[in-house]
Amino acid sequence: MSKEVKYTEAFEELQQIVADIEDGEITVDELSIKVKRAAELIKICKSKLTSTEEDVNEILKELESGD
Amino acid sequence: MHKLNRFASGHCFPELLQKEDGRIVAQISGTIWSHQYERINKRFIEVVKEPLKEDTTLLMQVKVSFHETYGMSLQIMDIDPNYALGELQRERQETLKKLQKEGLINANQNLDFPLLPKRVAIISADSSKGLSDFMQVIEANDWGYNFFTMLFPAYLQGDNASSSIIKQLNAIKRVRQHFDIVVIVRGGGGEVGLSCYNEFELCKAIASFPLPVLTGIGHSTNLTVAEMISFRNAITPTELGDFLIQAFHNFSTPVNDAIKSIKLNTKNSLSEAKAMFGSTSQSFKHLTKQYLTNTNHILLQQGRKLKTEVRENLYFNRNKVLRLQQESISSSKYGIKQEHELIARIEKNIPVLSKQTLSKNTLELDQMIRSIKLMDPSNVLKRGYSITTINGKTISDSNPAKNGDEIMTKTSTFKLVSTVKSQEHE
Repeated sequence: MSKEVKYTEAFEELQQIVADIEDGEITVDELSIKVKRAAELIKICKSKLTSTEEDVNEILKELESGD
Repeated sequence: MHKLNRFASGHCFPELLQKEDGRIVAQISGTIWSHQYERINKRFIEVVKEPLKEDTTLLMQVKVSFHETYGMSLQIMDIDPNYALGELQRERQETLKKLQKEGLINANQNLDFPLLPKRVAIISADSSKGLSDFMQVIEANDWGYNFFTMLFPAYLQGDNASSSIIKQLNAIKRVRQHFDIVVIVRGGGGEVGLSCYNEFELCKAIASFPLPVLTGIGHSTNLTVAEMISFRNAITPTELGDFLIQAFHNFSTPVNDAIKSIKLNTKNSLSEAKAMFGSTSQSFKHLTKQYLTNTNHILLQQGRKLKTEVRENLYFNRNKVLRLQQESISSSKYGIKQEHELIARIEKNIPVLSKQTLSKNTLELDQMIRSIKLMDPSNVLKRGYSITTINGKTISDSNPAKNGDEIMTKTSTFKLVSTVKSQEHE
């Protein structure tokens, strides 16, 4: 769940940055920092689309211990 | 019909009950001959989409028969599938009513759908065609989207389906932090035996489940209650898979748009800034040049002015100096001349004055010599005066002469020694 929250936050932050850039609310000074941050967020979001973090064995273990 | 009691021969000997408020008020055994059963069951499946089931209320056409050995029974000639359908409908309504009463109708639909339904708990059967359709869609997608799936096998139709699905839902609930959504996938198994999805217990388990439960049960008849109250229902497992892919697209698209937008806007704002800088520096250049020219001009003007003024000043001062020089030369010449005259005059006066002074001094000196001569004791003695001394000193109160003392008297020509006979103090 924490991963998901982090992910949602990354997505929302990215949207915010894009909105700010589109609205021209970012100065040239901040621009490179924001773009760099956006690139990081995009990387997080993209990797989330294609990666797998769950471990089946872990879940099976938890299922057994829960009984 | 309480129990169907179908025998190997194909004949059925069902137990028939009539209940009122849960209490049995009438009971009799029945008979369905094999060929009748086949026909009735076939029609049932056609109409109700369910085989003849135990513990259901049925409307049947019967013939009362009596057998010497088996006693009285009801020989079942036909069963009305439409009545059974109505019964199923009633059960469905009942379930909906109960869910409504417990406030569960929209419970699952009110959950937040995850931004990215990545981790999928699948309730399905290993062999299900629906499962393979579903997996095909989400695993072989062209965009490289990666889902994490885990199968929780269950019966998907028939009498055991409800309890089997509930059991797996409970299992998933224990490890729910690993999952984003639950899907119930079925397909390819025909359209029979789906009434379990109207059962209250199963529907309640789905509605109250903490994660969104999505269904793709794959049939063309009326929606079951489970499908109605699930977070989302897809007609087929394929469609359900497409829905999940779409959710990924919904996420991916804004991310890609963000990339495009950032690229474009960054480029724009950079070129804007560049243009602004360019024009500013251009005008800076221009202004600087202008300022320099102006200043240079003023400087030249001032320089010229300074030169003129200095020249004028110099000229003026030189004249002044010359004038002063001349003045001072003439005035000093005059002064010297005067000095010369004065000196000459003094020079001329000196001998005269010296002579005057000298003769005056000679006169005075002569006078003095004369006075001094007059005072000389020998000159005094010559005039008749004498000096008497005792022991070489003149006689006075401090050097008195006693009677009998020898005194010496000196005149200009003699030295007389006398003895004092008397004396009188004056």
